[in-house]
Amino acid sequence: MKKRLLAVLLACMLAAVSLTGCAGNNTKNNTNGNNNTPTTDDKGSTSKGNGKAIRLVNGKIEIDNQLKSFAAAYKEKTGQEVIIESLGGGVDINGTLKGYLAAGNMPDIFVFGGEGDYQTWKSYMTDLSGESWASQTDFGFKDADGKTVGFPYAVEGYGITYNADVLKKAGVDPKSLVNYDAYKAAFEKIDSMKDELGLTAVCSVAAEAGQMYWSTGNHIFGYYLSAGLKRDDTTYIDMLKEGKVDDQRLGQFADFTKMLFSYSDPTVLISGTYDDQLALWAQGKTAFVTQGNWIDPSLPDYNVKFDCGIAPLAFLKEDTAGVLADCPSWWSVYNEGKNIDACKAFLNDLATSAEGQKALVKDCGMISPYKTCTEVPETPLAVSLKSYIDAGNTYSWQWTKMPEGIAQNATGAVFELYAKGDLGKDEFVKMLSSTIADYVKK
Amino acid sequence: MNTQLKRTFSLIEIIVGLCAMAFALYLDFTGNESSYRGILLAAGLVLIVAGLFILPTKKHRSIVNVLFLLPVLLTFFFTVLNPFILGIFYSLTDWNGIKFTKFVGIGNYITMFQSRDYVYSFLITFLYTILNMIFVNIAAFALALLCTSKVRGRNFYRASFFLPNLIGGIVLGYVWQFIFNKVFTAAIAGSQSMLTDPNLALAAILIVSTWQYAGYIMMIYVTGLQGVPKDIMEASNVDGANWWVALKRIKMPMIANTFTVCMFLTLVNSFKQFDLNLAITNGAPSRILQGKAVLSTEFMALNIYKTAIAKNEYALGQTKAVVFFIILAIVSLTQVSINKRKEVEM
Repeated sequence: MKKRLLAVLLACMLAAVSLTGCAGNNTKNNTNGNNNTPTTDDKGSTSKGNGKAIRLVNGKIEIDNQLKSFAAAYKEKTGQEVIIESLGGGVDINGTLKGYLAAGNMPDIFVFGGEGDYQTWKSYMTDLSGESWASQTDFGFKDADGKTVGFPYAVEGYGITYNADVLKKAGVDPKSLVNYDAYKAAFEKIDSMKDELGLTAVCSVAAEAGQMYWSTGNHIFGYYLSAGLKRDDTTYIDMLKEGKVDDQRLGQFADFTKMLFSYSDPTVLISGTYDDQLALWAQGKTAFVTQGNWIDPSLPDYNVKFDCGIAPLAFLKEDTAGVLADCPSWWSVYNEGKNIDACKAFLNDLATSAEGQKALVKDCGMISPYKTCTEVPETPLAVSLKSYIDAGNTYSWQWTKMPEGIAQNATGAVFELYAKGDLGKDEFVKMLSSTIADYVKK
Repeated sequence: MNTQLKRTFSLIEIIVGLCAMAFALYLDFTGNESSYRGILLAAGLVLIVAGLFILPTKKHRSIVNVLFLLPVLLTFFFTVLNPFILGIFYSLTDWNGIKFTKFVGIGNYITMFQSRDYVYSFLITFLYTILNMIFVNIAAFALALLCTSKVRGRNFYRASFFLPNLIGGIVLGYVWQFIFNKVFTAAIAGSQSMLTDPNLALAAILIVSTWQYAGYIMMIYVTGLQGVPKDIMEASNVDGANWWVALKRIKMPMIANTFTVCMFLTLVNSFKQFDLNLAITNGAPSRILQGKAVLSTEFMALNIYKTAIAKNEYALGQTKAVVFFIILAIVSLTQVSINKRKEVEM
């Protein structure tokens, strides 16, 4: 009998243990969903928020600490707790968010990266047009009806980043680099003076399809889609979405890309990683690198002493003096969240208050997308980019509207073949346009 | 009387348990967030289990057996069967990872076989699998012979050959990418990195995967070779069999079942190759095929991953995964049945 009792107990324990997983999950969901429901309400008579913590999923892991400290200060100020959860460093953010949604654990504020993500998440987004920050920026993400649904928190820009000291020694004015011929002359001049300037090549470009597809297929190709156009002009991206390209414009782009590749370090060009590409330039061995202001935080790692700035990747024969600048991603408020008003208040504070602006610009080292922002960036490329933005001399990132994964799965490979010399100019144009047509069609 | 009482009692327990669970689930589905849901659910299950356990029937023994298997069965159902069935279901829809709006029938399957990148990665995966199976098994068998011979320090060899298998594939991949890109090009002056040529890049993955996996397979061969009875070996020695004959006529037939295991493992492992592929090349370099650019080393697992994640086409990726499973099942079952015929029954 005793034995049997023991067996019953064991069986119960097994069953209980097999369920603990579920039970634990339930309670965890509760704490995540409505943190400290009773406790903060009781003592939080002075707090403005209604006590429920809001949770923000951030996609830029590098600003995690800065956001957390801003959230802590915000809690002190308003009593509203904000939990910052940062994803990044190779994490598939969309996949994680989809998991959260399926598990009923969706954050109140979540990150999304442009048109493709917008299509996935649009039925979960709150209309933010009424917020005061929405009218203070050109960079908010607007849906088809013109409603603002994405909160911009940083502007990034890219082109050809130059080593100003080398350009000065070679007698090239970076301001003059606004068309194909200017670049041709500059590249030739610098190439002929390579030895005295201590360079191994003129440019540092990486076009390997496996890891650098985003640089070629998205960033460089982005100039074809946007250069010279007004920010809301979608001519070429609309054509691309239908699987068409402008052969004449793409031809000029091919000419420029060929020149860019031919003046690049050949090893880095076809087998280099991002680190290789950046190191080559940062060590002063090339004059140009095709990256943008996101390399600012890496400059101290390479002990960069020279002055630098961003020039437009002006591939056209006509002058195009602007660089491509836009938000890399936006934050959106989950429309079934428990505490939408608190989310709106938090975003508003981040965008418009002095502390918020300081957190974004000074602490995170980013460029504020808000016209009312008075903080000035200090890192060299951010300063350079800011001058373009202040002058209104920027083009938008139309490439973010391309079909998802096109660079990784299709066009990146074409750029690699072009870089390896397997394709001539005409073949490149032909193959790129047929690749785009195929990708759009399928 | 006692039995009757027990039966009533246990039935009551079961009913109360069922009610508790049903109520807990009802609360869950109606979005109620009261914190006792989970406890109620667990308590209900415990009551049912206890009730079943003391229920006096002739089948008592088998009920107990099933009850003790329950945790494993549930785990198997939730982690293996459930995703598998759902996966097949999703492959027939336009699922985007969140929800689906309509059924597309076999539309995904048609799209899949029409896309060039999939057909190409299909073929390249087969090629890689065959080559990798041959290389890994030859290398592993040779190493196993070395480690079971009378060579000095064979235990040291055994440990060091096994070591690469303990390092994660992603780390290994990046380390080897560095070696191919930097070390080899520096060692052979003026050479291009192997990873820039489509055929050499495939060879590069083969080198790394053989290097990584041969040690593991070697261990299985070593175990097999050690299991060859000493008396047979001595008898053959007396009969004048030399090393080669003993190997070919005695050792290899005796360890035929080890070959089955090793072939099966390498086959499945190479077919599912993902981490090395992702870390070393991520599909690059590209090659021209019929006037189109294709990524030359994108194996099926990577292709599925990119379809779902990079293209955000979860349903199509799921479809590819279903087909991947079917092919893998067919190929490995065929291979096992062929090898089985060659085994010697002791």
